[in-house]
Amino acid sequence: MKKGAKKGGEKSVRNLFCELPWLAMPAKAVSTSPTWKRFLTPFVIPFLILLITGIAVAAEPSPQEVIAHAARKVVKLYGAGGLSSLEGYQSGILVAPDGRIITVASTVLDSDEIDCVLDDGRRFVAKLVGIDPRRELAVLQIEAADLPAFAVMPEDEPSPPGTRIIALSNMFGVAVGDERVTAQRGVVAARVPLEARRGAAEAPFRGSVYVLDCTTNNPGSPGGAVINARGRLIGMLGKELRSTDSGIWLNYALPASELVAGSEAILTGTVATTPAADAPRFDPRLLGAILMPDLLDRTPPFVESIAPASPAARAGLRPDDLVIAVGPRSVTTRAAVEQALGVLAPGDPVKMTVIRAGTLVEIDLGPRPRGATP
Amino acid sequence: MNMKRFASGIMATAALAALLAPTRATAEPTLAEEAAFQGAVARVAAAVVRIEPLALTAAAGAGVAEAAPGSGPSTGTIIAPGLVLTTSFAIPADVNDAVVVVPDGGRRAARVRSRDRSRGLVLLAVDGLPEPPPLGEVPRARLRPGQWAIAVGRGWSAAAPTVAVGIVSATNRAWGRGVQTDAAVSPVNYGGPLIDITGQVIGILAPLPAEPAGMTEGTELYDAGIGFAVPLEDILAVLPRLTTGESLDAGILGITYRSRDQINGEPVIGSVRQGSPAARAGLAPGDRIAVIDGHSITRVADARHAIGPKHAGDAVAVTVERTDATGKASRIEATTTLAAEMPPWRRAMIGVVADAEGDDAERGPVRIAWVLAGSPAEQAGITTGDAIESIVSGRNAGATAIEGRASAAGVLAGVEPGERITLSIRRDDAIREIEIDTIAMPGDVPTDGPPAASGGGDPLAGPLNAVEVVKLAGADIADPAVAVIPTGTGPVGVLVWAGIPHGKVAEAEAASWKAAAVRHGVAVVLVGSAEPAAWSRSDIAAVTRALAALHARRPIDATRIGIAGTGAGAAFAWMVAERLGPAAGGVALVEAALPQRAVVTPAEPAAGWWVLLGPGGDDAARDRVAADQRRLDKAGYPVGLMPQDDSDAPPAEILCRWVSVLGLL
Repeated sequence: MKKGAKKGGEKSVRNLFCELPWLAMPAKAVSTSPTWKRFLTPFVIPFLILLITGIAVAAEPSPQEVIAHAARKVVKLYGAGGLSSLEGYQSGILVAPDGRIITVASTVLDSDEIDCVLDDGRRFVAKLVGIDPRRELAVLQIEAADLPAFAVMPEDEPSPPGTRIIALSNMFGVAVGDERVTAQRGVVAARVPLEARRGAAEAPFRGSVYVLDCTTNNPGSPGGAVINARGRLIGMLGKELRSTDSGIWLNYALPASELVAGSEAILTGTVATTPAADAPRFDPRLLGAILMPDLLDRTPPFVESIAPASPAARAGLRPDDLVIAVGPRSVTTRAAVEQALGVLAPGDPVKMTVIRAGTLVEIDLGPRPRGATP
Repeated sequence: MNMKRFASGIMATAALAALLAPTRATAEPTLAEEAAFQGAVARVAAAVVRIEPLALTAAAGAGVAEAAPGSGPSTGTIIAPGLVLTTSFAIPADVNDAVVVVPDGGRRAARVRSRDRSRGLVLLAVDGLPEPPPLGEVPRARLRPGQWAIAVGRGWSAAAPTVAVGIVSATNRAWGRGVQTDAAVSPVNYGGPLIDITGQVIGILAPLPAEPAGMTEGTELYDAGIGFAVPLEDILAVLPRLTTGESLDAGILGITYRSRDQINGEPVIGSVRQGSPAARAGLAPGDRIAVIDGHSITRVADARHAIGPKHAGDAVAVTVERTDATGKASRIEATTTLAAEMPPWRRAMIGVVADAEGDDAERGPVRIAWVLAGSPAEQAGITTGDAIESIVSGRNAGATAIEGRASAAGVLAGVEPGERITLSIRRDDAIREIEIDTIAMPGDVPTDGPPAASGGGDPLAGPLNAVEVVKLAGADIADPAVAVIPTGTGPVGVLVWAGIPHGKVAEAEAASWKAAAVRHGVAVVLVGSAEPAAWSRSDIAAVTRALAALHARRPIDATRIGIAGTGAGAAFAWMVAERLGPAAGGVALVEAALPQRAVVTPAEPAAGWWVLLGPGGDDAARDRVAADQRRLDKAGYPVGLMPQDDSDAPPAEILCRWVSVLGLL
């Protein structure tokens, strides 16, 4: 209808109105040729008002419009099967009009031929450009032009919990050919560092992810787009993982900032290859605190003894104290204590929280010395 | 310009605008919703704290690849100054300390003050807690299914509360204890508040297991679209008692229901525990419950709903209808106080196995199929073919007419082992009265068992003729279990076997079970594990599906279902038995002791498995088995030792014989 407000469309509008019986215009008045200007002038101002209001209100698109607009930028990917050969499919996101796609790095991409099917049903063969193993992110390329694509930008500020999101993905592979991918609605549940595992292996990414209140950990969902109410891409659906702490399935998305950093690293050939799991550890013995040896994989970090005249002795740490936190990080194993200390830079203050006879005691061990790994 | 034309133009434009308006109006709610969610959460955020588990309680689960309760950060709510309410997921029963992280990130030591064990809630006393914001309370009567419900937690991060959005699904669930929501409730937010769209508190999120707590604790429902919250108004009603340090338990009446259908069955009492509130009130097996606390009762579920929300120490008024042996009906009203626990129940027996009953068998006098050698029944002269018509036991005024095996078991359930009972036996058209002194159920498997009543198969003719090996396939079953079924049409007993997990089970494994299956008329179901080297919770569902598939082919005798396993399969067998509850007659842990995290609840008439353990390969294992035997015996379970067996084959003969006598009366 906005087209009708432009001058070029006046004639067709007039014809339309001539045919509508409910208009309170006598037919005779229209047939007189010079009065067509007089006929239309009363409509021009109201139409302009409508146009302006329409533009103002259009700043808040409806969910249906947002989905329709965004779904065209999500693709269906098919490749090599996994162990059960049922999951040889996932989703991908168009990030450039020339056909650059980001998705998760998974066994689906191990195939010689990765098939990519667009929202309009067109098939392409995708080439794997590169992989960021730490973020488990992959960049693919198809030979195309003028495709609808997301403008992926780092976030100015993270979306807080409660933000409405829509996840677009080919979950369970239900969409085929020119069928649109599946839309699911939910909210951001939290934004936290990822501590997760797949089977027994720990996931390599340790940065912050969006945990979603939306059941997105389905076959086919990884690589799907997570958008906010305005249609902006805020994340990419991750792989099916369980939380290390609680064992529950994680519905999560890699934030846009990570998508930008990861794809830039891939395209410029500067992908970091050392897995994050090899973060340096720091032995608390260097501070004079000797913890109980690891008999099981999860020995609690009890203090066994204190070296005399050491930072630990001066700080008041005692045998039988149970370390429960290093700084703000809670620790439940000796390995976690070493990792938490390793994260600190030399010179950073080392503060521990311990339990002694049922009460919490804060211990200040002074600055972290330069140390060798055990 | 012509005013009339101008006016017409306005009208036309207005009409067009009206056509366009609907697509614009829907844009507003999304952003308004976000603001409402975030505003509601902000109103309670200062009262939501994070609970960190202490390393001491994080025990490794032996061979079962799922989350164990109590392992992982969880949530709590500041319910009063210095007091935090959380769940038994965060603070398991044997733990008394925890660490609370307050919203500004600081850590505080916490001690358990008291527990409401009926709802899995734990009250912690915490020093140095910030002043709590006043919690708005939504009265339960005002809740409407369909209204917004937001689950708030701090399990993921102490810094910002996590948000899960849904609706109120139902207002009176979990036998009266909870409000149901479809917001994602999980270990991440157990202990946190469930709030409405204005930030008022509906209740505190908790796993409310439908069945008594076992290893799985109800936490497996977290991603199924169902979650529960204990209404705040119920919590505040008992908070004064909890604050003084008084722990609360679920209230027990001390009865079981005769019907196997625990929802829609007739509300007829099956057994009454000795010394229970029901016994003190004068209730007896066969009584039909008519009214509880003024609510009329028409099915078992009504009675469970009436008693479910009550605590031990609460009073209850019960009215029953009783019809005595002469057919006279009377109405009895009684008020009694519910108890916290019953002394362990020990199964009394006389030593007979009754004919197997199909689902639609007529319920009348029980015909005896086999008598155990050396038992009180044999000594009293009872033989195969006798029919028990009625039983007189110490406490009921007259004889209880026997209508099916369940009613006989019900009467025996109210008898103390050693007590004398009188049976009316019909033999060759004559009635005799026989007095028998009952004894406690033996633990070890008898050396002989009842002959296979499956109507087929002479074992000497070779097992191949008398048994079939089938895959229990079904529409939704990916890896079907393998079943060894003796030929015939009558109801069979079932042995479920879970060995060392190795993925899918092959038909060739059935070979070692065939002879024993035929000899004892027991169907053996071999289940496989979904993961190649470990049993997991999804395999439990596979077992129940396999049993359903078997029942569709051949009726299962409900009194003879045994679960057995070895290695990691032993812990899995225990979990399956917990899931089946009273449906399982026994559980055998071959070459194993009880799983590390096993919770041994005192035996009850409806749930007292016959447990077999061990024997144990070395001294340390044998000591553990002996300790677990004492533990189970103390809780009232008949427990026996598996004999030493050095062969690699599974102990098919003894397990099938054991299943054939699981229904021992």
